[in-house]
Amino acid sequence: MLPNLKAQSKWSWLVAAYLFLAGLGAGAYVTGVVASYLGDGWIGISKIGVCLGFPCVLVGCMFLLADLGAPLNFWRAAMRPNTSWIARGTIIITIFMVLAFIHVAFWLWPFQGLAEAVGARQFIGILGVIFAFGTMIYTGILLAASRPIAFWSTSMLPLLFLVSALSTGIMAVILLASFAGTTHAGPIHSLARFDSLVIILEMFVLGFFLQGTHRVPEARASANLVLSGAVAPLFWWGVAVLGLIVPLLLDLLGARLEGGGAITVAFVASLCGILGGLFLRQVVLSGGIHAPLRAGRFEIALPNI
Amino acid sequence: MPRYGFVIDLKRCYGCYTCQVACKAANHTPQGIDWARCVPAETGSFPVALRQMVPLICQQCADPECLKVCPTGATTQDENGVVQVDPDLCMGCKYCIMACPYGARQTVDEWKTYFPDADGDLDPYEAYAKAQWEEKNGYGIATKCDFCADRVKEGRQPACVEACPAKARYFGDLDDPESEVSILIRRERGFQLNPEFGTDPSCYYLPPR
Repeated sequence: MLPNLKAQSKWSWLVAAYLFLAGLGAGAYVTGVVASYLGDGWIGISKIGVCLGFPCVLVGCMFLLADLGAPLNFWRAAMRPNTSWIARGTIIITIFMVLAFIHVAFWLWPFQGLAEAVGARQFIGILGVIFAFGTMIYTGILLAASRPIAFWSTSMLPLLFLVSALSTGIMAVILLASFAGTTHAGPIHSLARFDSLVIILEMFVLGFFLQGTHRVPEARASANLVLSGAVAPLFWWGVAVLGLIVPLLLDLLGARLEGGGAITVAFVASLCGILGGLFLRQVVLSGGIHAPLRAGRFEIALPNI
Repeated sequence: MPRYGFVIDLKRCYGCYTCQVACKAANHTPQGIDWARCVPAETGSFPVALRQMVPLICQQCADPECLKVCPTGATTQDENGVVQVDPDLCMGCKYCIMACPYGARQTVDEWKTYFPDADGDLDPYEAYAKAQWEEKNGYGIATKCDFCADRVKEGRQPACVEACPAKARYFGDLDDPESEVSILIRRERGFQLNPEFGTDPSCYYLPPR
């Protein structure tokens, strides 16, 4: 008989906010860099995406710092990159922030002379995209490296966070672009259509992620907690409905509209999808259940977890 | 160098919690924090049911998960195979708490008094314990059992071993095939907790009757 396993409570919504913002910032940056290759109509969109990268990840790191028990020691976080994913992640995310900052600085005083240096900016952009993908994937591997929590310890989790990060990044760009009214109507239209594909992909990845929980009892306990237990309302309403179904339907609706209506629909869809991304991180964190202690025939839930 | 190890004899343990209290007295852990614990377990269902107390400590794995995930280098393994946390280096990310299969690590946010009704100052004993805790450990960081490293250095046994009235706990050198712990593990088929994680704990349990 399996004991009454409890979910971990030590990593709270602060960590969820960090995972979410790191993913969103990196996703927006990738969107911005890709957009810069799509022609003159995309210059505004490109700038929005690139400029979102650094501040979002920085704010995310603030949330992580707030979660640390001894934040004054944060600068030691990269001391053991040979084994620890927090150390590797710290290095990846620091390089990404530096690159994203340099990329933005090309347009700022006193460097605006460099705005003409297209080659250098493209080089920074390509390097930045590599580390942006590293950032998005690392947020998943960070959790997946925790072996006693079978719910996290799957290769689907980094993929889920990667797809969600791309989707929320695209939606963050749409959200900001829609403030400019119909100026960016064409690119917003295209982004929303592409995003609907990413959302469908995310639905499949989420499904496979949950399907993978069947193998060990503690992962099944996590699935029960998420699908029908205490976390179920947040999962079904926050992630499934608000974060996936509503944005998908609105994106499909927006594809049939034109002008201001389409912009408004894209705005609402993005807002819902972005919130869904935050809730997804929180659902995954609060669904994490440690394996029970196995002492011969006895199984014991970890005390104080 | 010896590899320090524990043997906990489940058939001798009768669940008196002396190990838990002795650990608290020796290591001055705050309220709610126990490096040594006695946890009730049961298996089966009536009428074929079994209850058993399972004493828990840090398992001092030979291949520790907590050491692998620690990003700051605060977690180290000494030459006796004991995993140590340097409170000055830990940044309190709690990654080790997520990675440890045995729930050995805990963090303390603040010192909570055992006597909240006695308003005002802590009594001298609790004040001493608080000062000791702040000197050797601290708040916000990961803390755990270290096989009573200070006592062992002085040639004494860990507090829980010395205190156990049932003589259910043994401390010794796993590398020495003639040591008491090695002989007990061999003769009585000692086993480790959660062997599926491959951490090779230095803490062995002897099966219940």
